[in-house]
Amino acid sequence: MNTKLVLTFPQIVVQEPITCSLVEIFHIKLNILRAQIDEKGGKIVLELTGTSDSIKKGIEYLKEKGVKVQPIEEGVRKDGEKCTECGACVSVCPVDALIFDRKTWKVIFDDQKCVVCGLCIDACPTTAMELLL
Amino acid sequence: MNGNRSLRTYDEINEKIRSKSVTVMTAEEFKAKVENEGLDKTAKEVDVITTGTFGAMCSSSVLLNFGHSDPPIKMQKIWLDDVPAYGGLAAVDVYLGATEMDESLNLFHGGAHVIEDLVRGKAIRLKAVAYGTDCYPRREIDTWISLETINQAVLLNPRNCYQNYAVATNSSDKTIYTYMGKLLPDYGNATYSSAGELSPLLNDPYYRTIGIGTRIFLGGDDGYVFWEGTQFNSKAPRSPNGIPKRPAGALAVIGDLKKMSLEFLRALTIHRYGTSLAVGIGIPVPILDLEMAKYCAVRDSEICTAVFDYSEQKRARTVLREVNYQELKSGQIEIKGKKVTTSSLSSMYKARQIADELKRRISKGSFLLQEPVQKFDLEREFKPLEIKTKEEVEK
Repeated sequence: MNTKLVLTFPQIVVQEPITCSLVEIFHIKLNILRAQIDEKGGKIVLELTGTSDSIKKGIEYLKEKGVKVQPIEEGVRKDGEKCTECGACVSVCPVDALIFDRKTWKVIFDDQKCVVCGLCIDACPTTAMELLL
Repeated sequence: MNGNRSLRTYDEINEKIRSKSVTVMTAEEFKAKVENEGLDKTAKEVDVITTGTFGAMCSSSVLLNFGHSDPPIKMQKIWLDDVPAYGGLAAVDVYLGATEMDESLNLFHGGAHVIEDLVRGKAIRLKAVAYGTDCYPRREIDTWISLETINQAVLLNPRNCYQNYAVATNSSDKTIYTYMGKLLPDYGNATYSSAGELSPLLNDPYYRTIGIGTRIFLGGDDGYVFWEGTQFNSKAPRSPNGIPKRPAGALAVIGDLKKMSLEFLRALTIHRYGTSLAVGIGIPVPILDLEMAKYCAVRDSEICTAVFDYSEQKRARTVLREVNYQELKSGQIEIKGKKVTTSSLSSMYKARQIADELKRRISKGSFLLQEPVQKFDLEREFKPLEIKTKEEVEK
C-alpha cells in the first residue's frame, strides 16, 4: 500500500524523532516530499509504503504523539480554464506527473504521481497550477 | 526551381473559396498526404494549407484611441489599471506594450493583463495627467473604460510569429528564470518555443506567399501582416532544404482587438522575467506550384534549431548542439551525454486548434487569401547594438 500524508507537528514534538519510529517500529518505507519547520512547529509531506495494517498502526502512533495527520487527496490543482496546454510545466516535473498526450498535445496531470514538490507552480505562465498545501 | 510550373493562382484559389469548392488542409494533414500519396499528386489536389502557432510573443501591444472627454485633454502621462502607457502621439492616442510592468512592480500584472482584461470585457481604470493647453484645457482625468466603450483598440505587434527559435538549457548549478521559462540546474531540462512543422514561416521559408499585406488569423479574427517583424534576419543560417536553423524571419501584424477572443490571446506571467502576451496566429499558404508544395511538405525531422546555454549572461551564447523538432517533441534530447527532458512554451494544442479553425473559415468561404503587396527582403541582417562613442558613430 502506498499513501501520501501531510503531518503537522506542534512545537512541543518537533524535537522528537517521531518519523524515524515509523521505520523502526512499523517497518514503513518513507519518502519525504516536503519539509518545513518554523516557530509554530513543523510540517512534512510524506509518502508511506508498507502493509495497510502497518500504515494504519503508524498513523495511530503519530496521532497519539500529538501529530496532526491529513491524507493528501489533492496537493496541486491544474486549472483547465487557465491552462493553454503550452507545456512549460512538463520538463520541470521530476516525476512525470505532468506529461504531454502526444496525440492531442494536451498536458495531462496525474495527481497520483504528483509528489507536491511545487516546481510546476512558478513555471506556469498562466498561473494555472495551484499548490493547495 | 527549374520547371516549377504554376499549379494555381491566388485568383483561382479565391474563386474556389467563394464557390466553396476549395481543397484546404491543415499543414499536418498535407504532410501526411504527401508521405502517403506523393508530392505531385498531393500538390495537384490541394489548393491551400493552413498553419498555426500560439506562444509567448513579447513584442505585442495595443494602440488605443479613447475619443475625447469634455472638456478635452491632451494626455501626457497615462495609466491603465496602474500600468503606464505611452501618450506621445497627439491627444488621446495611447500605446501600451505587453511587457510594460505595473508601477507597483507586481510581476503578475502588466500591459498584457490590461490587454487580456480588455478582451474579457472588464472595466479598466484610465488615469491621465496633462499640462493643459488652450485647445485641450483639462489637466487630469480619472475614469473607467472598456473594450466596448473605447473608440478604437488595435492589436499592433511589431514582432510575432518567429520563424524558428532557440532551445534553452542551463549548465549552471542554480535554477534560472528566463523568458524561455524555468531552467533547472545542471541541464535539468530544455525548453523550446515553436510549433515546428505546423508553424507558419517554416512552411514558407523564403517568404514567397507571406509578406506585407498577407491576410492572417490573428487572435481569433482576421488580421494582416503590415511589415517585416523587428529583428527580421532572413540571412540566418539555413539547412540545405532552405529552412533557417536559427531565429530568422518574423512578422509585424495588426488587427482589431475588439473582435478578438480570449481563446487565442492570453496574458502571461513569466516568473522573475515579467509579463508577456500569448498570441494565436494562423496563416494560409497557397500551393501555387511544386516548389511551394515541397516547402509545405517539410517534416519536424527536417527542421533544425540550436540548443543554447542560457546561464551564459552574454549576447552570443554557445551552441551546445543542433537538434530537430522531431527529437524535441519526443520529450527528451541528449546534451553533453545527459538525457534531458524537453518541453515547449508554445502550445501545439492551440496551434492545431488555430490551423483547424482557419481551415474551417476557408472551407465555408469566409476567409479569402490576400497576395502580398510587397515581399520581404531576403538580404536582411540583424544588426547588434555596440557600445560606441559619439565620434565613432559619426565617423
